[in-house]
Amino acid sequence: MSALSFELKGRPEQRLDLSSLVPSRLDGLNRKQIEALSVATTRETLTVGDAFKVKGRDVQNLHFVGTDDRCDKIGAKLAGGEIVVDGDVGMLLGAQMKRGKIAVDGSAGVSVGASMSGGEISVRRDVGDQAGGVAFGDTFGMKGGFISIGGDAGSLLGERLRRGLIVVGGKAGDYAGGRMVAGTLLLRGGAGRYAGYGNRRGSLIFADKPRHLMPTYVDSGVMEFDYLRLLETWLREQGMRIRLGGRARRLMGDMAVLGKGEMLILE
Amino acid sequence: MPELKVKGVTIVETFAEAFPMVGTRVIITAPTAEWAMISARTMTGFATSVIACGAEGGIERTLSKSETPDGRPGVAVLLFTMDANMLQTQLRNRVGQCVLTSPGSACYAGLKGEKSLKLGSSLRFFGDGWQMSKVIGGRRYWRIPVMGGEFVCEEKTGMTTKAVGGGNLLVVGKSHKAVLAACTRAVKAMADVPDVITPFPGGIVRSGSKVGSKYAGQIASTNHAYAPGLKWHADSELPPSAEAVLEIVIDGLTADAVHEAMHEGLHAIAKGGAREGITHITAGNYGGNLGPHHFHLKEIVG
Repeated sequence: MSALSFELKGRPEQRLDLSSLVPSRLDGLNRKQIEALSVATTRETLTVGDAFKVKGRDVQNLHFVGTDDRCDKIGAKLAGGEIVVDGDVGMLLGAQMKRGKIAVDGSAGVSVGASMSGGEISVRRDVGDQAGGVAFGDTFGMKGGFISIGGDAGSLLGERLRRGLIVVGGKAGDYAGGRMVAGTLLLRGGAGRYAGYGNRRGSLIFADKPRHLMPTYVDSGVMEFDYLRLLETWLREQGMRIRLGGRARRLMGDMAVLGKGEMLILE
Repeated sequence: MPELKVKGVTIVETFAEAFPMVGTRVIITAPTAEWAMISARTMTGFATSVIACGAEGGIERTLSKSETPDGRPGVAVLLFTMDANMLQTQLRNRVGQCVLTSPGSACYAGLKGEKSLKLGSSLRFFGDGWQMSKVIGGRRYWRIPVMGGEFVCEEKTGMTTKAVGGGNLLVVGKSHKAVLAACTRAVKAMADVPDVITPFPGGIVRSGSKVGSKYAGQIASTNHAYAPGLKWHADSELPPSAEAVLEIVIDGLTADAVHEAMHEGLHAIAKGGAREGITHITAGNYGGNLGPHHFHLKEIVG
């Protein structure tokens, strides 16, 4: 069965709420019913059929083609299945998702994977602020799963992160790991100011020594971490070319809060 | 009925009687293969028989760097007991005392069982509050600070209730030397079979036992029917030529694995033929009263 694909007909007049286009909501609907679903975010009515050319049948494999930064909430609350996006996406990509996979071959807006609790999101290029952060009305940020960002990330990456792993290939903005509760950020291209601000138990892993270090982190020196080897092996199994090695400098913090978080700076 | 022979060695038409066990597998890694083996050997030391060891354990095989979760050399260890509570106790004590303490080691789940056993989830308390939990790919690991750095231990490992203990082969020969050589060969051949261990010293038992004793409180005693010094006795099962009998005991995660190991072992014993001094291959059973798994040697041969 071929993937159910949604090809954007042209740049929409309004932002689109695509949260209804997930397998659990589409299962059992025929083409006409799918095309009649509302995606409007203003008073002006707009349906899937108005905005997209719909093809294919397999609701477990969704394919978005030619989308842009007005296409919001793709894969929000996803509970299984796969979504492939050929284009850019707007805000709240995979927000509050539980299971499944989303792969974006472009850039994403703010709040990628906000408060997600499981599954995988990969964005080939840049993401906006608050990736893995807190979804509107939620208490914690990402609570599980894996986000991989090929390019740069905005500010407040992994804000109030509670569990899960975020890997950033490029540079992260200010306040990366702000108020982290636990979980892991792997920052391959460094971060802006105030990384690890208010970190309670989380781990920030830096490929290189960060340019700005919070004064509330305390140096514990260099040692061997089997955990890094474990992480490297798993990331390689996911197809990521990465070398973490086993040695790292460990700084404990944020001492202004619980102080059981860490920065691991790879040697 | 024609007598069953392989290369002149008589295969006695009997069966090995085995019993259900619960089993688990853990993977131990270390900076070098040698240190992984030291840790695994320590963990499985004094784990020959549930009669008085608490568990039967052994090294299943060594693992290359590409086969372990952290990309370091490793060893797969199997541990068996009669019930889940005992397995949990033995696993916690053995990993806590022998793997946690071993330089550079880490310990991971090696089995996806129908049920799970606590591994790092109880050992983490050694961290005294400084332990950290990490979830990677849906599996939870504990990082416990220790003097050598960090001990990484997966939270749980799987357990199977379909394990089988006590698969066995009894090897009867004209000299101790011949029997020991044949058994050593068999243990080596069985080592290549997945999902099994031979828990006794070097895989071989020289003191096969029967259930009970004439002495009160002694739960097992020498299998006098196979002791060559007691051939005069009416109970003796040995031919006059027998000078020594050694036993190989096999525990496996499944009955099929035990069957395969016995097949490999039997043919390795018989490889040298009768001219190397092996006269009979038989097996230990208790008339079907011990357990539901009966491995008939005529089927094992095939």
